[in-house]
Amino acid sequence: MSEISRRELFRLGAAGSGALVLGMVLPGCATAPGEREPTRVGAWAPNAWLEIDPDGGVAFTLDRVEMGQGTVTGITTLVAEELDVAPQNIEVVFAPVGDAYINPQYGLQVTGGSSSVRTSWERVREAGARVRAVLLASAAEVWQEPVASLTTGDGHVLHPDGTQRIAYKDLLALAARQSMPEQVTLRRPEDFRYIGKHNRRLDALAKVTGQARFGIDVELEGMRYAVVARPPAIGARLVAFDDSRARGLPGVIDVLAIERGVAVVAESYWQAMKARGELSIEWDESDAVKVTQNSVFRQYRQAADDSAGDTERSEGDAAGVLENADEVLEAEYEAPFLAHATMEPQNATAMVTDRGLEVWAPTQGPDLARIAAARTSGYSPGEIRVHTTFLGGGFGRRLTQEYVEEVAEIASHRKEPIKLVWSREDDIRHDVFRPAMLHRFRGALADGRVTAWDHQITGPLIFDWFARNAAAAQYPWAPRMFYNTLASVGRMTEDTFLTPKDHSAIEGAVDVPYAVPDLWVRHTHSDAGVPVSYWRSVGHSHNGFAVETFMDELAHRAGEDPVAFRLRHLEDSPRHRAVLERAAEAAGWGGSLPEGRARGVALHRSFGTFVAQVVEASIEDGAIRVHRVTCAADCGRMVNPDIVRMQMEGGILFGLTAALYGEVDWDENGRLQQSNFHDYTLMRHDETPELSIILVENGEDPQGVGEPGTPPAIPALGNALFALTGERQRRTPFQAGSADA
Amino acid sequence: MTITIRVNGAEQSVDAPEDTPLLWVLRDWMGLKGTKFGCGIGQCGACTVHIDGSAQRSCITPVARVAGGEVSVTTIEGLAGEDSLHPVQEAWLEHNVPQCGYCQSGQIMSAAALLDQEANPDDERISEFMAGNLCRCGTYPRIHAAIRSVADGSAS
Repeated sequence: MSEISRRELFRLGAAGSGALVLGMVLPGCATAPGEREPTRVGAWAPNAWLEIDPDGGVAFTLDRVEMGQGTVTGITTLVAEELDVAPQNIEVVFAPVGDAYINPQYGLQVTGGSSSVRTSWERVREAGARVRAVLLASAAEVWQEPVASLTTGDGHVLHPDGTQRIAYKDLLALAARQSMPEQVTLRRPEDFRYIGKHNRRLDALAKVTGQARFGIDVELEGMRYAVVARPPAIGARLVAFDDSRARGLPGVIDVLAIERGVAVVAESYWQAMKARGELSIEWDESDAVKVTQNSVFRQYRQAADDSAGDTERSEGDAAGVLENADEVLEAEYEAPFLAHATMEPQNATAMVTDRGLEVWAPTQGPDLARIAAARTSGYSPGEIRVHTTFLGGGFGRRLTQEYVEEVAEIASHRKEPIKLVWSREDDIRHDVFRPAMLHRFRGALADGRVTAWDHQITGPLIFDWFARNAAAAQYPWAPRMFYNTLASVGRMTEDTFLTPKDHSAIEGAVDVPYAVPDLWVRHTHSDAGVPVSYWRSVGHSHNGFAVETFMDELAHRAGEDPVAFRLRHLEDSPRHRAVLERAAEAAGWGGSLPEGRARGVALHRSFGTFVAQVVEASIEDGAIRVHRVTCAADCGRMVNPDIVRMQMEGGILFGLTAALYGEVDWDENGRLQQSNFHDYTLMRHDETPELSIILVENGEDPQGVGEPGTPPAIPALGNALFALTGERQRRTPFQAGSADA
Repeated sequence: MTITIRVNGAEQSVDAPEDTPLLWVLRDWMGLKGTKFGCGIGQCGACTVHIDGSAQRSCITPVARVAGGEVSVTTIEGLAGEDSLHPVQEAWLEHNVPQCGYCQSGQIMSAAALLDQEANPDDERISEFMAGNLCRCGTYPRIHAAIRSVADGSAS
């Protein structure tokens, strides 16, 4: 594959903000959300999000999926605030595919990039405020009082006399005749009743009683179960299969070849799995990708040697300064391919009906799922309805929709309801991975300051893989035969006026916060043919590790304290400084520790949020032990502070899991060696450190919280291990080494 | 073949192959979807149920092992009475534990079994007992605090 020519050809603009790029821009596609047909008899549905029924029920259509990050509670809190109905009195409905529900940050109906609260902060509050304004105007008509004299309180309009009130439900007929105001005034922060105060998760009761319905829990009348035998190596193709033994087993209904392998349909999952084990399949592996982590890094090193790459940020003359510097430090870091391992394995359910195809899926992109279903089923997107469920974890995994492609193809052949379930082994072996990335640094030091910085990042672009369904999802009227062309055009035009720039390789590196006069950040494109995707914090997951480890190496070379050294380079970055100082102080930075323990620090901003962490670690019986993580985070205004805290906690443990264990690898035949939790290890309860989370309160606009806790955890642990052992950790997962402390 | 099992206090008959893991019988024959599939090899604990009061992984328990109606199986749906919550579920709400929630049925069933056997386990015992239940969202610190609060509450 041509590694860089394409990028050079289509390069137009300079790097923008470090955002996850998901799709092509299609101007004029989103329609203004207006009144719609209600889903309940007699109800009033004044916009795409709200519906009030005559019994007083308020239904809120949530357009960002719930995968644990808290959208059910968070976005509902926003609408509750402006509508003035308590969050717990609002029924949350998961959105269908619809133009009104497109995520404005990406031009697709996706949940990702820690964008849900940020992109709903005005849009959803305004939707609530408009409806409240109409209800107020309706009550003003009833009472013949000036609108300005009326107020609201939990689902009622209140009369200025302090005694009379009218429930919203009793105003529906009048309200339906009012026109929506163009301009609305949003509630002032000092008047917030729920924002910043509401903490109890609205989905918690369903989740502690086993009642929350995930994709895997979908149940349809007459439903059959499907499993798929997929290629044993990436890129292997089906030649032939013998299903005679499988078909003879109890409960087996059908065995059929599909685009992605051989599907077995049975009366139960267990019977389908047993039959799959009896298939004998011949695969053509002549074009199979046969790589290992080591071979991929060899490829990357060669690419990095051969090409300086695309300049993504350049200030001054870093190369020149480095050439003439007295003190130059060089280092190389490796971040491996990682699986997502959501607790709910991939699955989807589909059924052919009179009007088309119905799909139920735990997906981060219902519009992408619709294209995926259209791709393999023969139905057009207009004939496909996607129902989204609770997601048993997402972390980026459910932005890719192969499970929907599979189930749609099987269901359209079988003409009976099909639930497709991936086993855990399927889930690990056929994941779309966090890309492996190589980082090379050169830094010049003089008088305790970094004078030049050269960071070369080598690896693939995620958009090259993501374009498959994302490009077509922007043109749902396009015939299926053009899907692959659209994807190719999307890839070809990445970083032009047609398609936004893909920051997935460079985010967290181009925005390095340290004041360095001569600075160069570049990306050398190299793709090993391994399918890759977004993984919690995306590019920040590896750039945070690389940048913050190198900064620590520079501090050590300069003979400086790592916190003081960072602060010296952050004179004009007050919010970075603030979280670093608060984390260091709360962690007792510089203070004494029990024998055999050490601290490490890291600071990283991602998805708008500033996070500093101090990790305290030791090595016991040859194993790394993390004792304590102190985290200070500034995400601006918090809608549900305890959910912010939860996301920092979870983000830290996700990062530590990668730092301690995360790695997948292939054998010489291209077989992935990991398959389940015994060999793709996640941090467990008994290894969990004490977590101390400090949330910086301020009135800045809200920023992302789902991902920013992850990036600093990895380098903070690595830096602690260096402080402990004197051995630098330049590759994850970290090794305890021989230096038992 | 027809198998009789006692689940959440009621005897039921299901027509399932006897080597079928209890997990799938609960979910797909009996419609009890609260018990989750995570790994299929007893590594993650998402499928944890009580078998005669002890926490067991239903994904590696052949249904034949609990057949006959002598053995009592309890799932998350039967942990508390109708319209009430078990103290562990109350503590989960109090500590805002669930994120995605997928593993939480299993976590709660493990915690309830632990607290049933030992009224006041210490932190080390809680950690050791709960180590068999994975959570990818990272809710362990809150799970720990929730169990601690129930243990402390019953001890006082």
